[in-house]
Amino acid sequence: MDPSEVEFLAEKEFVTVVPNFALDKIYLIGGDIGPLTPGLPVQVPLWMAVNLKQGQKCRIVPPEWMDIDRLQDKKQEETDSKFFTKMPCDHYIEVTQLLLKSATDDIPHADEIRTLVKDIWDLRIAKLRSSIDTFVKSDATHAKLNFLTLMELNTVRPFLTKALDQMHVLRSNNNGRIQSTQE
Amino acid sequence: MLAEKALDLLRELQRTLDGSLPPYNEDGIRQILEEMKALFEQNQKDVSATVAGENGLFSGVQLRHSALERNKRCLLAYLYNRLEQIKKMRWEFGSVLPPEVKFNMCEQEVQWFSKYNKMLANYMRSIGGEGGLDLTQDLKPPKTLYIEVRCLMDHGEFETQDGNILLLKKNSQHFMLRSECEHLIRQGILEHIVH
Amino acid sequence: MSIDGSNYFDINDILSTQQRLPCKVEMPIYRLGYLDSSSESEHLQPGTKLELPFWMARALCSRKRHIVSVDLPKQYKEGYREIFSADPTMVDLHKLGPYFYNYGSQLLQFELPETPDVAKSLLQTFQGRLRKIMDSSQNCFNEDTSKLVEKLDESERILFKEGQQALNDFQCWETRKTEKLKTSEMVKNHRKRKRVVLEET
Repeated sequence: MDPSEVEFLAEKEFVTVVPNFALDKIYLIGGDIGPLTPGLPVQVPLWMAVNLKQGQKCRIVPPEWMDIDRLQDKKQEETDSKFFTKMPCDHYIEVTQLLLKSATDDIPHADEIRTLVKDIWDLRIAKLRSSIDTFVKSDATHAKLNFLTLMELNTVRPFLTKALDQMHVLRSNNNGRIQSTQE
Repeated sequence: MLAEKALDLLRELQRTLDGSLPPYNEDGIRQILEEMKALFEQNQKDVSATVAGENGLFSGVQLRHSALERNKRCLLAYLYNRLEQIKKMRWEFGSVLPPEVKFNMCEQEVQWFSKYNKMLANYMRSIGGEGGLDLTQDLKPPKTLYIEVRCLMDHGEFETQDGNILLLKKNSQHFMLRSECEHLIRQGILEHIVH
Repeated sequence: MSIDGSNYFDINDILSTQQRLPCKVEMPIYRLGYLDSSSESEHLQPGTKLELPFWMARALCSRKRHIVSVDLPKQYKEGYREIFSADPTMVDLHKLGPYFYNYGSQLLQFELPETPDVAKSLLQTFQGRLRKIMDSSQNCFNEDTSKLVEKLDESERILFKEGQQALNDFQCWETRKTEKLKTSEMVKNHRKRKRVVLEET
């Protein structure tokens, strides 16, 4: 998948906004939204939140997890754990990026938040690479990794699947199922 | 060494496959077919001689046969990989190929392309309800309905869906429906301006 | 490489089966003496030692026929296998290949006594080198990766490119470059080539 496709899926996540205009309930393919009342917080999909914000039609309320203390705790938890921890949002990095780009003024300590989220990402990716290395070196035929997010998976998918294909051929050589070239 | 020419053909193809299509190597193919003919005729002779009672010719026949199969494989791979490239070009350049590319294709390849084109068009027309669905568009999720573009070269007049005529002169800027101009951007005629 | 033989049209597979191996003629082969550049003889006599491309050797040496006998090229023999097991990451597999794994796997068809050891060595070498390929393809955006890539065989280079591409895509997304629609790569390369041709004429 392309990262922009992963982002497309992430844009379905709901965030809270405070609109400055009124809108009756609307019925979309993905579900119902609204109604919007000026000054009242309401949950809308991320794509709509960004769109409204760009049109200056709302203020964005950062998600609960997008907070310096919470993220610092999360980072510590991720560092201490051998395995992957459950992230507060399955699309944490996409949501962070989209909100910080379009609504920096609505998010306190935006720069620190950005750094913390990136740090957590780097930690998890490094763990992922170690897991892959261990898996490849073992004789196991499958591995289970919990709590990985789609964007993380997506960055290793092309490499990992090709590497495993290659390993499969080399392993089959050892099991006596040698491939023969066609002529 | 036998089948050397066939290998050269493939090496030449692999070298030039990234940007476009190299010219159809008619000459090279002819030489390979001549080699195959010579091998085949030699084998025919040896088979007749064996039937007539001569011995020990089998190893030679086997060797020549393997060279024939090798030449065949190289030729088929050459044709196949060129077709795959031509197919890719439909998705990159659009339904009309630049003349330099067409120049490098042999007659049968040109016919193949036009058939592929037709097949793709028919398929796209048959899905997505009334208007059909253009699969070659929106290869990435679109972000906005309209986009700002700048012309990189003169491209004459362009009529939009709602009847407006835009003059696509070099360096002119326009605000267009993404769906209308996406293929022009892919072809390098327009440049997408992002802020 | 693929396990199901669907690689008939694959150029890399064809090129890898062109690599040579040492052979010894066991039965006379008439009127094909020209294949041996070191001899003037019209025929290939039993006992002649020469190097033949894999595809030809395979046709002449199998369970069914023994027109030639074959031996493993030196990079698959015990001496090299020991070097690989000591430190697989330092070896220049491109020089020994360039289709080291693919060719090695093909050679296993000859069912020589060393075959199981070669099979094991190929797998372990690959496992040992993977980490470095993965890390550098996903990390070094600015570093000089050319030194490492030089030592990779063709299939490892493909893996490396995949890793780099994924990193590239992600970083483009991070910097929001993905929003901009672009001229297709093929079109760009085509233009470049056209310009070069025009400049040369």
